[in-house]
Amino acid sequence: MEYLSLFVKSIFVDNMIFAYFLGMCSFLAVSKNVKTAAGLGVAVIAVLLITLPVNYLLNTYVLAPDALIEGVDLSFLSFIVFIAVIAAIVQIVEMLVEKFSPELYSALGIFLPLIAVNCAILGGSLFMQQKDFLNIGEATVYALGSGFGWFLAIVSLAAIREKMSYSNVPAALKGLGITFITVGLMGIAFMTFMGISL
Amino acid sequence: MDAKLKETILNPIFKGNPITVLVLGICSSLAVTVTLKGALVMALSVIVVCGISSLILSLLRNTIPGRVRIIVQLVVVAMMVILVDQVLKSFEATYAIDKQLSVYIGLIITNCIVMGRIEAFALGNKPWPSFLDGVANGAGYGLILIIVAFFRELLGSGTLFGIDILNRFGYVPNNLVILPPFALILLGCIVWVQRSIQKDLQEK
Amino acid sequence: MNTNNNVYTVIYTTVIVVVVAALLAFVSQSLKAKQDANEKAETISQMLTSARYGTKAELDKLGNAAKLDKYAQEIEKAFVIDLSGKVLRELDITRGNIEVYSPKALKRQNYNIKGGANKTGEPELPVFVFKNGRTVVPIYGAGLWGPIWGYISFENNSATIAGAYFDHESETAGLGAKIKDDPSFQQEFVGEVADFSSANVFKIVKGGAPKDAQGKSLVDNEIDAISGATMTSQGLDAAIDAWLGAYAKYFQGSQPGCCQGEEEPKSEEE
Repeated sequence: MEYLSLFVKSIFVDNMIFAYFLGMCSFLAVSKNVKTAAGLGVAVIAVLLITLPVNYLLNTYVLAPDALIEGVDLSFLSFIVFIAVIAAIVQIVEMLVEKFSPELYSALGIFLPLIAVNCAILGGSLFMQQKDFLNIGEATVYALGSGFGWFLAIVSLAAIREKMSYSNVPAALKGLGITFITVGLMGIAFMTFMGISL
Repeated sequence: MDAKLKETILNPIFKGNPITVLVLGICSSLAVTVTLKGALVMALSVIVVCGISSLILSLLRNTIPGRVRIIVQLVVVAMMVILVDQVLKSFEATYAIDKQLSVYIGLIITNCIVMGRIEAFALGNKPWPSFLDGVANGAGYGLILIIVAFFRELLGSGTLFGIDILNRFGYVPNNLVILPPFALILLGCIVWVQRSIQKDLQEK
Repeated sequence: MNTNNNVYTVIYTTVIVVVVAALLAFVSQSLKAKQDANEKAETISQMLTSARYGTKAELDKLGNAAKLDKYAQEIEKAFVIDLSGKVLRELDITRGNIEVYSPKALKRQNYNIKGGANKTGEPELPVFVFKNGRTVVPIYGAGLWGPIWGYISFENNSATIAGAYFDHESETAGLGAKIKDDPSFQQEFVGEVADFSSANVFKIVKGGAPKDAQGKSLVDNEIDAISGATMTSQGLDAAIDAWLGAYAKYFQGSQPGCCQGEEEPKSEEE
């Protein structure tokens, strides 16, 4: 697969949020304003960009059948290995953010540790395992594309929510309720990309 | 103490519901609510996993180094889920159950409710309340799943638990309902209803 | 105790990871034989379903041993072919050591069919001929969330499909999972004719294949996709095309009236 079409495809057609609905928890909770949303979006891109190639190498050279020792199939460990790698990298990113940008750190709150269970991150690694990328380059481009797609989605939702705070929404629907519905409608809009073949 | 335990159990089901109030576990609630049966299987698994992993991590809570707590939490949760999967897979009687369940294994491990409750409750509380908190949060999550799945299966396929309800009256299943975005819109409506009743949850 | 100390942290993490990995490896190894036996019985019941020896629900009522008995009783012969349709070796069909291709074995062959970095050798494709005249071949590919696979049976070595059964690891319940759970979807395959001369052997069409008044599709190798499960339908379509494409030479060479393609090509080689 060509890198460019893989990149575009993973942003729009296979968008983590609107096509697969992965990583919704932090997506909904940290989209109140554009600045924090962009911060989390960058963190997701960074974590995907590191974890996916690492998991790709582990998957190809350790976990796949016959990869390490002839006749040994370690694929039953893939879940736990992927998630341990992700958790370790998230922990490192957490420490870095805490050190270099305490402001962002306090804004992200509980959601930084929760990137570890952000389904988009684990989903990225599992999709990688399933798509059988030919080399680490493809895996990296895929990571960049799907991270960027997630970034795009959270920033656009945050922008809509900032605008929406001036609208006259029924009291009980304010905040979370209307956000759910907005995301649903955005999801339907993104389905148009499904028909594109690249 | 009893009143506090009761609060621990009842709070997550209504006032502090993990999905509609804490916004946790959304991904899986979209994926498993197309059929009532799927929602039920997922709800039961999350109750079990959430309860037991809260219990284990609460027992370990004083030994876990702060900086690697997430890794330890995830490893324990993932190990438990994989262990159950492997054991169920090896007996002839339970193999069929496992085939039903294996679909949700990944979704259970990454379910933020499990992790969120461990972070927020189990690491700071004694084992027994932690276990109850886990079970109650699983139940609160399951309740919403079942409500959403009820509407999605009824309107999207015209059936409930696979048994024809509406189709015999000439109902044409609405395909929009079985797509994930509709689950979000339904969740929005559930939040609307809940916050109309409990006015203190409304955002300014 | 100071749990934030570096040495403690490193030791603690190592111990946890080693304990967990050892426990999982031990459980996985000690239960492997039992799991494989269950998987084999499941694979056999799926093949029997596609060869129409009963519905999946009926076959599942039999225990593992009964499924193996039934297979040993009903199988005519089983063998492995290469891309040119030449028979490479026979598969054991005696009751004691039945050889079938589990989804894991299919996955490996899937790499070999597709080529690329994961290829380990030339494709070895299994063919199962049952006593009721139906030939069962497997398919394997990727769905939306994970692998999908299945078995398609053909009438008397012709291109006419007699039955099909599909399974998946983690497709969405109620949508993609219908390839397994919805017997009416599998029923749509029956009577369709695969077009082995084209690269697009079989089509699963979104928006409806042309149909007659009884709801039977008019075009020989087209059926309806599952609504709401675009990705799974596309994945299944691609899997069927890739695998049946690999079997094309075998089926084209074994149309009625022709040799069964066993002895003769071999002697030519030698």
